[in-house]
Amino acid sequence: MRGARIWGLVPAWVLMLATLMVPLLIVAAVSVAERGSYGGFAWDFNPLSYREILFSEDWDGNLVFDPKYLAIIGRTLLLAGATTLICMALALPVAYVIATRPPKTKALLIYLVTLPFWVSMIVRVYAWLIILGSEGFVGRFWHWIGGEGTLLFTPGAMLVGMVYSYIPLMVLPVFAAIEKLDPALLEAGADLYGSRWTTARRVILPLTWPGLAAGAVLVFVPALGTVLEPMLLGGGKQMMMGTLIQTQFGGARNWPFGAAVALVLMAMVVIVLVINARRSIRKEARA
Amino acid sequence: MNLKTMLGAATAIALALPAYAEGTLNLYTWSDSIAPELIEKFEAQTGTTINTDGFQSNEDALTKLQAGSSGYDIVTPSQHFVKIVIDEGLLEDIGAKDLAAYAQVDDKWKGQWWDPENAYSIPLAYGTAGFAVNRDVYEGPVDSWEVYFTPPADLKGKVASLSYPDEVVGAAQLYLGVPFCSEDKAEMKKVYDLLMAQKPDVAAYSSDNIENRLGTAEVGAHFWWDGNVLKTRNDGANIVYAEPKEGLVGWLDSFVVPKGAANVEGAKQFIDFMSEEENATIQYNYYAHSSPVKLDLTKAKYTPENAPELFPTVPVEFSKACSPAAQDLVTKVWTDLLR
Repeated sequence: MRGARIWGLVPAWVLMLATLMVPLLIVAAVSVAERGSYGGFAWDFNPLSYREILFSEDWDGNLVFDPKYLAIIGRTLLLAGATTLICMALALPVAYVIATRPPKTKALLIYLVTLPFWVSMIVRVYAWLIILGSEGFVGRFWHWIGGEGTLLFTPGAMLVGMVYSYIPLMVLPVFAAIEKLDPALLEAGADLYGSRWTTARRVILPLTWPGLAAGAVLVFVPALGTVLEPMLLGGGKQMMMGTLIQTQFGGARNWPFGAAVALVLMAMVVIVLVINARRSIRKEARA
Repeated sequence: MNLKTMLGAATAIALALPAYAEGTLNLYTWSDSIAPELIEKFEAQTGTTINTDGFQSNEDALTKLQAGSSGYDIVTPSQHFVKIVIDEGLLEDIGAKDLAAYAQVDDKWKGQWWDPENAYSIPLAYGTAGFAVNRDVYEGPVDSWEVYFTPPADLKGKVASLSYPDEVVGAAQLYLGVPFCSEDKAEMKKVYDLLMAQKPDVAAYSSDNIENRLGTAEVGAHFWWDGNVLKTRNDGANIVYAEPKEGLVGWLDSFVVPKGAANVEGAKQFIDFMSEEENATIQYNYYAHSSPVKLDLTKAKYTPENAPELFPTVPVEFSKACSPAAQDLVTKVWTDLLR
């Protein structure tokens, strides 16, 4: 019986190894390979790429500590963090409203939340180019109230695009958590003279926290690697980790360094996932 | 077994399933660069199915070719990248000078430094990279790169650049009198200082969607290519292509066949087809960039009178294939700029 169970899992393990572990090992190997003169690489062991993240040559040819890549990493963390927080703040009321509708309306509303996924990401980001552009209605409104210049190519435009792209990933788990809420608990809160605000803060929020945490991971992780929104809506004026990695494989012709940055990004994602997993284990242990 | 063969094997397996290689031709060209009319005509004539994929920068094309077994039969990089992919051994020797297409090529493009033996490439289009201004935003003179790099009041905060350094750094070098592919740190520092001083006035570094950004006056000046300006102007945008006295950055795109392409014969057939006088003229009228092959001048749409963009009167300096040291300096300029 036990043997059959283990053998039954073999296809899953093979799939994991072939599609997840092997490519990851290749990236790790490339990150310490010798860079090719015009891109590409040659097998070798050269950990210079990792030094390059912290130290680079200045214009006089001296090797100095240069925080430029750290700044890019920090900026990426900040953008992904801000996106996650805004998504949380917006998704909670939306999910609450949806969860408290009658079943038919509820099904329709959930369907509407997932609708954007039917359209390509690029098309959806381009739509924001038009909406925020000087000919778009938001752009026109901005000029009508006396705003100057263009709304595009600003950190704000980038953030709007990011929140828009990722918010369905937050709404769905939060909705699932709220749906499981026992209405009796809300009534109990009200019976105990809790104001609506107190009920929201002391009852709804703690009980939906697992949903929010799950949503936070779903939003934060892809937001770390984002390329489209910073390039199209942010105007590409400041690099993010995604664009930095892309540049290394393209124009910079430095594949090992690109692979090294990709691994740093990967490590950050793993840290987030581990923290999250430990929290939920502790939660379950207490429950 | 190295990575390239591994990737190659994986792609070969993936491609083997629908591989009626004889009947299909996979093109990887600059986005929207081949006249759809000609693709249909070739399909009807030969029974071949053509799949097209687009790239927006030479760097993207190079990266795909270096990853090995791209699955493409034809790619159309610019001269300095043709040189690199030949040197890196990534191309199929198609004996270009024995193709019918070769006889159509203007002599001045034969035996050039990027393919001295004319073994690998047949040119498809050439032109320049410069900048264009929207006349609703800026009415002043456009006879120097100074307008672009140190924008006057009307253009402050309304300049747009490309997302890749390749031609932008070239233009800055023309303006400063620094040679292309300079390995001199002090000279490249000047390029960096110029671009850094321009940055506060740059709205976006983006190679996508340029016609909209400039056409709708979202920005007032944009780094761009000659024929794209021509097309957008003909569509009604109030824009003009600058003729900076310091010169324009030249490019020439060629058909090349990646090593190991599944349909080399079909690729040669397509290159010959595209270079026939009638088809080259259709392509010229569609693509609106200059043609390096013979055209039917009675049917060619663009003349110096109606398309000054294609007939610049200022010097044109063609991009070169930089040494790794020079390329690292270009990259340093760009990463430090967008840090």
